[in-house]
Formats: sequence, structure tokens, C-alpha cells
Amino acid sequence: MSALFDLFGFLAVLLHGLDLVAQSVLVGSVAFALFVAAPLELPARSQTRGRRIVRFAAIATLITTGMATLVSALALRVSLDLGMREIVGATFVVAGVAKAAAAATIACLVRALTRSRTVRVVSVVACSVVLGAALTDTHAIARIDGSVALTLATIAHMLGAALWLGGLPCFWWALRDVDPAAAMALGRRFSLVAAFGVALIVAGAVVFAIFYIGSIDGVYGTAYGAMATTKGVLLAILLALGCANFLATHGIGTRMPILRTLRFVEVEMGIGVAVLMAAASITAATPSVDVVADRVTLAQIAHRVRPEAPRLTSPPPGMLSAPAAAHDGGRNAQDRAWSEYNHHWAGLLVVLMGIAALAQRTGHAPFARHWPLLFLLLALFLLVRADPEVWPLGPLGPIESLRDPEVAQHRLFVVMIVAFALFEWRVRTGRIESPALVRVFPLVTAAGATLLLTHSHAVGDVKEQLLIEMTHLPIAVLGIVAGWSRWLEVAAPRAEGRWAAWVWPSAFVLIGLLLLDYREA
Amino acid sequence: MVALATLLTAVAVALPIPAFAHAVLLSSEPATNAVVATGPLRVRLQFSSRVDAARSRVMLLAPDGAETKLAFAHDMPPGMLAGLARVDRAGGWTLQWQVLSVDGHVTRGDVRFSVRAP
Repeated sequence: MSALFDLFGFLAVLLHGLDLVAQSVLVGSVAFALFVAAPLELPARSQTRGRRIVRFAAIATLITTGMATLVSALALRVSLDLGMREIVGATFVVAGVAKAAAAATIACLVRALTRSRTVRVVSVVACSVVLGAALTDTHAIARIDGSVALTLATIAHMLGAALWLGGLPCFWWALRDVDPAAAMALGRRFSLVAAFGVALIVAGAVVFAIFYIGSIDGVYGTAYGAMATTKGVLLAILLALGCANFLATHGIGTRMPILRTLRFVEVEMGIGVAVLMAAASITAATPSVDVVADRVTLAQIAHRVRPEAPRLTSPPPGMLSAPAAAHDGGRNAQDRAWSEYNHHWAGLLVVLMGIAALAQRTGHAPFARHWPLLFLLLALFLLVRADPEVWPLGPLGPIESLRDPEVAQHRLFVVMIVAFALFEWRVRTGRIESPALVRVFPLVTAAGATLLLTHSHAVGDVKEQLLIEMTHLPIAVLGIVAGWSRWLEVAAPRAEGRWAAWVWPSAFVLIGLLLLDYREA
Repeated sequence: MVALATLLTAVAVALPIPAFAHAVLLSSEPATNAVVATGPLRVRLQFSSRVDAARSRVMLLAPDGAETKLAFAHDMPPGMLAGLARVDRAGGWTLQWQVLSVDGHVTRGDVRFSVRAP
């Protein structure tokens, strides 16, 4: 039952994150159509594309809401053995149906969105229903104290995210369609809407900090606080990009740097998805004010992160606990030492890769372009060490071990790392030059790091889980920075690409250092 | 770069997935590890969030493993589940609770207590 709960929990967070992205784009693109595209009388092609985005987001919201509601309903049915008739009346089910109906309404009416006043009014009402229904999946609706302030703050926060992050896809498409003379007006108009969105986000966040976190030790001592801090760091990065675009549209020269703005908007969209996934993760965590007994102290954090020599020798495989016992929480000191050894060697390799990538960037070390081949060493390391009960370290044969899903998963990762290492080596050595192919893997890096954000809660052995999580959250942020700076390197104009080319290898080095300092006790 | 992508995805997928929590038990009657007398037992569980009582459950487990579902009182304060039970024999008892918070998340836990011999 515990494993089932965990699976439902992960699915619920993932679906909630996707639902937040879909609803933000839905509300944001309707707002863009009404408050940016129509007043500026953008070209017909641009407005048609905008309506397509609205329809796509409405259908996406319908799907994600439906799936999220279904998963929660199934979790309830399995855990409490309730009949579907009893479940249907639950608040989250009613809200899910209302949200789906509102999204479907918008999808049906979008064609007349900018032509009919009635459709505009109905769309605004439907967007309000979407946000109101989304409220029922947040902490605010369930709090006993301060629920009015928290409700208002949550609506402001979600509306702000929609106006800014949700409007970016429409802004990106419109910027590609308008002529350079009209681009400045478009940029200025949208940046005003986005700035209003930022103000709403910040106002909501202040209220959340007061009611959900409540104290400084709630920031660093709880999973909620750690995730909120991570989200704040990502928001700061977004604000820096948004500020650059804002300045580009408000008075720096007479012509807007369109290509640079487009690339920055692409990165804003990508990091915006990460922020919304982090928001879903926070929504599934217990607010800091409710975590009293299991807070991590500054001393415990300092003890855990103090620099120590990495573990470069490993306990023998024979001293490890059986895999089943380890998975059920029966890990011993040798298991932890084994895991730390794995992390430290992986960190060493990642640091070397980052240094080699930086060396290649200087232009004085042409041999360094072969650094992706270091990942082959990592793949070999994983092949040998990930499953000590399997060949070559253990008695289980390589073929029969594939019946274990976890072993099969590790072997698949090894194959993927080998394939991707060879692919990136071909990119680095100029054997692959296609711009589209070169962009796939920064995307995958950012996506993997974003996924890491959804695995960030501490229940059970609360303190220990949180201390481990505190290593993974910075790695996730650095992974997102690495992915999107590599994107800028390959896609942005020369000046921006040049500085971005220094950022992602530096992020590699920092990830490697974090892995070298990883400890489980 | 690309293998780092794989690595990050692998770590994300392979990480242990803790359950999530919303309605946290703030206090209970009987309290954890309390010792009570045999006879009628007033049960009160106070949570940090509003709970959907109609879709929540509290089971009373006797020392011999027998289970009794607790019937909730009406008009309880927000975030509280309360009812009356009966503990007829000495030994270790458990209140197993599983609640649906109004925001749609399920949480569960145990409260262990003892009943002293008459």
C-alpha cells in the first residue's frame, strides 16, 4: 500500500505540474488575445496563430485536468475502498469537472474570440472558472486560519503566472510575424502585461511566506521552505531575462533586437515550465508552519555540507545488505558508503567534463573537444556499480538480471548514456551540424533537471530525506541553467551565445563539486 | 551535455519517491503512547487542514487485530475528526487514520496507545 501511495503521489505531482502549465498558457493566451493582439491590431496570421494556441491550451487543460482528477479519484478508491458514487461528490472531482467544462467552452468559442463581445465575456468568465477550480487543489482552500488572505493571494499568484509565463508562447509567435517597426510596440505592450503579472506573483509570494513558512528556520529546515527557495532562485533567473527583454523594448535604441528577444523568450518559457513544476511540487508538500518536530537545524545542514575528502575507496560488495532490505529502509553503513563512493566518482568525472568543456571554449585546447567521451567512463562505472548483486560484481547473470525492473532500468540508462555521449561527441567534433539536432539535447538536459524538482518531498525519515534533498535541488537548478545556457549558445546571436558558452560548462563543474560533497550521514 | 541530460533524467526517475502530505495530525485524544482505562473512549484527531469527513476513515485496532470503524460525530470544528469508541481489554491499541484533505490529498497515520487492566 505504501508503494502504491508513493506512485500515486508522484503521478499526482507530475500531472498537477502539467495542468498548471496548460492552465497558465490557456488563461495567458486569452489575455494576450484580448489585451495585446486585438488593441494593436496584429496581422491576421498572427491572431490566427494566437487562437490556435488558445485552442491547444484549452484541450491540454481538458486532458491534464481529467487525468489528474482520475488519478486522485483512483488513489481515494484504492486507499479507502470507496465507491465511485462516494468519490464523485468530493470537492476535487467537482472542481475538476468545472475546470474541464470551462476549458472545453473556450476551445469551442475561440474562433470568435476577438470578433464577438459575448464570446470575449464568456471567455473571461471561463478563465475565472479555470482559476477558481485550480484553487481547490492548493493549500489555501484547506487552511483553517487565514484562508481568505491565502485564497486571494493564490488567485493573484496563478493569474500573475498566466499573464506573464502563460502569455509567452503567443508573444513568441507574434514577434516572429510582425515587421520590425511593429515589434517595439508589441514588446512594450506585452511587457506591461507581464510586469503586472510579476507584481501579482510577488504579492502572492509575500502572503505565502507569512502564512505557510512563517519563520527563517522554516525556510531552511523544511521541505516546503527548501522548494520555495528553489522556486525563488528560478524566478530570479526568469526576472533577469524578463528585465533584459523589458529594457530592449523600452528605450534602448530605436530597433528591438528581435532575434535576441526571441531566444530569451524561449529560455523564459523553458524555465517557466520548471517554475510551474516546482509550484506543483510545493503544493504537495506540507507547509513549514505545520512541521514542528522534524525541522532540520542549521548545525545539521552545516555538518552535512562541510567539505570533506571524497570517498575514493569502496566497501566490498559482500558487505552490502540484500537489495530487498535496502529498498525497504534497511540500509546499513556499507550501503551508504557504496552510494557515496558512486556519487563521488560520478562527481569527479562531471568536474573533468566541465573543465574540458571550458578548456575547449578557450580555443587553446582543441583536444578537449573529445570530452563527451568521458561519459563512456561514467557509463562503464554505472554498468559495474549500479547493481552490485549482478555481474560482474555479483552472482546474477547479465541476462537473467534483466527480469528485475530496476536492473533493466539501470542497463537502459547505461545504453542511453553511451548513445548520447557518442552523439554529443559527434556534435563537438563537427560531424553533426544540424541546428535542430543540436538543440534536442539541451532540451533533454533541462527536462531531466526539471523532473528532478518533482521528487523533492520529505515524509517518513523526514530529516534525513530533507538533507539528501538539499543536495538534489541545487543540482536540479544547475541542470536547468546548463540546459538553457547551452540552448542560448547554439541559438542566440553571437554576443549572447558567447557568454552562454561559458555558463553551462561552469554549471557542469559546480554539479560535479556538489556530487563530490554528497553524503548520506 | 547529452549524457548529463540522461544522467539527470535517470537520477530523477530512480530517486525514491516519498509520499506527499497535507493534513498533518496536530494532536490526538488519546495521545500517542497514552495509557487509558477500559470502557468508553473519546477519540479526537485535530489536523492542520480542513478534512472531508465523509471521505475519511479512522479504524480502531484491538490487541487481537479486530478492527472497528469509528463513526464520526456531527458538527465537528474544522480539521477535526471525533467520535466515541469502546476499549474492552488491556493491551496495545492503534487508531489508524486516513483522511482526505479538502484540497484533494490523502494522508494517513497511526496513533498507538495502551489500555490498562481493570
